[in-house]
Amino acid sequence: MKLQRFTRTLQNAMLTLGMALSSLAMAQTPAAPAASAIPPTWAQGRTPEQVALNLVPHPPGMTALPAEDIPTDKLKVPAGFKVELWATGMPNARSMVQTPKGTLFVGTRFPGNVYAVVEKDGKREVKTIAKGLHRPNGVAFKDGSLYVAELSRIIRYDNIEANLDNPPTPVVVFDALPKDEAHGWKFMKLSPDGNYLYFQIGTPANITVQPVTHAVIVRLNLKTNILETVANGVRNSVGMDFHPVTKELWFTNNGRDWVNDDLPNDTLNRITAKRMNFGYPFCHQGDLLDLEFGKGRSCDEFDKPVMKIGPHVAALGMRFYTGKQFPAEYTNNIFIAEHGSWNRSKKSGFDVVRVVLDAKGNPTKKEVFVSGWIQGDDFWGRPADVHVMKDGSMLVSDDVAGAIFRISHNK
Amino acid sequence: MLMRFSKAIQGVAFFFAAFTLQQAWAAPDAIAGKAKAQLCGACHGENGVSSIAGTPHLAAQPQLSIFYQLLQFRDKRRLGGGMEAIAAALTEQDMRDIAAHFAAQPAPAPHTGGDPQKIAQGQQIAQQQYCSSCHGAQLQGQKHVPRLSGQSSEYFVSQLRNLRSGARADMDGTMASAARSLTDEEIEAMAVYARSLP
Repeated sequence: MKLQRFTRTLQNAMLTLGMALSSLAMAQTPAAPAASAIPPTWAQGRTPEQVALNLVPHPPGMTALPAEDIPTDKLKVPAGFKVELWATGMPNARSMVQTPKGTLFVGTRFPGNVYAVVEKDGKREVKTIAKGLHRPNGVAFKDGSLYVAELSRIIRYDNIEANLDNPPTPVVVFDALPKDEAHGWKFMKLSPDGNYLYFQIGTPANITVQPVTHAVIVRLNLKTNILETVANGVRNSVGMDFHPVTKELWFTNNGRDWVNDDLPNDTLNRITAKRMNFGYPFCHQGDLLDLEFGKGRSCDEFDKPVMKIGPHVAALGMRFYTGKQFPAEYTNNIFIAEHGSWNRSKKSGFDVVRVVLDAKGNPTKKEVFVSGWIQGDDFWGRPADVHVMKDGSMLVSDDVAGAIFRISHNK
Repeated sequence: MLMRFSKAIQGVAFFFAAFTLQQAWAAPDAIAGKAKAQLCGACHGENGVSSIAGTPHLAAQPQLSIFYQLLQFRDKRRLGGGMEAIAAALTEQDMRDIAAHFAAQPAPAPHTGGDPQKIAQGQQIAQQQYCSSCHGAQLQGQKHVPRLSGQSSEYFVSQLRNLRSGARADMDGTMASAARSLTDEEIEAMAVYARSLP
C-alpha cells in the first residue's frame, strides 16, 4: 500500500518533471503555427470566388407562425386542386407518419420536439409528445409503437396513442450510431413487411472521403437488432419510400454544395440490387466526376440515379401517390418536397414537385405541383416532407412556418 | 445576495407578464421593443452596452441572433444569468421587438489598449478556425449568427468554454466542433482580438 502510494508519487513527480522539460523544450523552439482547423461543414469545398458571393445557410425554422399570419393563399396548385392550412403551432415540423387510427406524428430537427396531431370531436389538436430529444427528425409507426430516429439512436414509445397526454419513457432500440452532427439527422421509413427500419447515415461533411460507416442507407432488423448497409455512396438522403407495386426502395439524395449554380443536381434514386453504390464522393448525379475526389475515377464505376431533380434544391421528403382522390394519372407518381437552395445565387426549389412514371416505372417528367413559398428572393416557409392521407389528400409539412398544409382534389 | 437576485428576476418576470397582450404576429418593432427592453437594460445597458463584466453587449447584434437565443433560454436549451425565467415571461412578439431594439443600437466602441501581441495571436487563431465563415469578415454576425466584434471578453471566454465543455449546447453542433480543440490561452487571445474590433 505504502509502496504503491510511493510509486504513484514518483510517477507524478516524473510526469511533472517531464512536462516541465517538454515545455522548456517548446520555449526554446519558436512555436509552430497551429494547423488550420476544419471549416464549418457548409463552407467546405467553397472556391474563393464563391466566398465573395456571401451565400450562407438559411437560419433554421425555430418558431411556428400564428395561423392568421400564414399566407396560405400564396400557395399555388394545378387547376382542380385546393390548398388549405391543416395544422399549426409546431415549430420546425418536418417528417410525418400516420397511424392506422389516424394520429399524425411529426418529427423535428432543431427544437427536439415530436408532435402528434389528432382529430377529436371534429376538432384538430396538436400535442407535443416529446421534448428535449436530440434531432428527432425520423418517425415510423409499428404495432402501436412510435419509433423516433434521433441523431445517434433509435427510440420507441410503446402504446403511444393511448398515452398522448402522458407519453411513456421511451425504450432505446439501437444506440450504436455515429454522433456526427453534420448530416446526422435521419429520415426513417418502416419496410412494407414491417421487419426493418430504413434510414440514412449521411456524410459528416460537405465533400470528403467518408468513413465506410457514413454516406449510406442502412436498415435495422427489428427482430435481431442487426444493422446492415443497403446502399453506399449516398451523400445524404432525407426522403425515401417503397414503390407500392415493386416494393423497391426509392430515395432522394442531396448533392454536394459549391460546384456552381447549376451543378450538381439533387437526385431521385431506385434500389434494384444489393450493395449498390451511388458514387459519393467521387461521382455526383451519375455523370459528374468530383473536381477533387474524382481524379483517377470514372462515373462508370457507380450506379446512376433515375432522375436529376435540380441543382441545390434540397430534395427532402418523398412519397408515392397511393391515394384514390387525385386524378388517375397521379397513381404511383412521386411527390417530392424541395426545401429550397441556399448556396445558389438565384434561389431554386421551395416547392413540391411531381415526378411522373411510365408503365414500366421509369420517371418521364418532373413538374411543379405546389409553389409560392418564395416571393421574389424571400421565402416565408420551406416544405420539408409530404404524406398521403387515407382519403387520398396530401399533407405537406413546413419547418419554417411550423405548419402542415393539406392539398385535395375537387372531383 | 442570491435571494435578492432571484427576487429581482421574479420582478422582471412579472413586469414582462404585464406585456403579454394578445396580439397577432407583426414585423419586429424596435420602437415597441424599446419599451419592452427597459428591464434588459439593468444588466445589458440601456443601449445594449453592458457595464457588468461577463454580461454580453446586445447592441448591434443581428435581430435574429438575439431572438433565437431568447427562444433557447425560454425552452431551457440554454441556461445562464437567470435568463430562462426572464425569457419564459416573454411572448415571441416581445422577443422579436426587444431583439429589433437592440439590433438597431450603435455597436459598442471597440476596446482600445489591448495587448497587440495577443490581438495578433487572436486574429491568427480566428482565421485558422474559420470564424469569419459564419460570423462575418469583421465578426459582425449575420442572420442568426451573433456579432463578436466589440463583445465583452469575459463573456466571450465563458461562452466559448461552455461550448467546448458542452455546458452550452449550440444550435447545430458547429460551435461544439469548432471549440473542441481550443486551449484556454487561445480562447483568451480570440476574446481580446474580438473586443478590439469595431
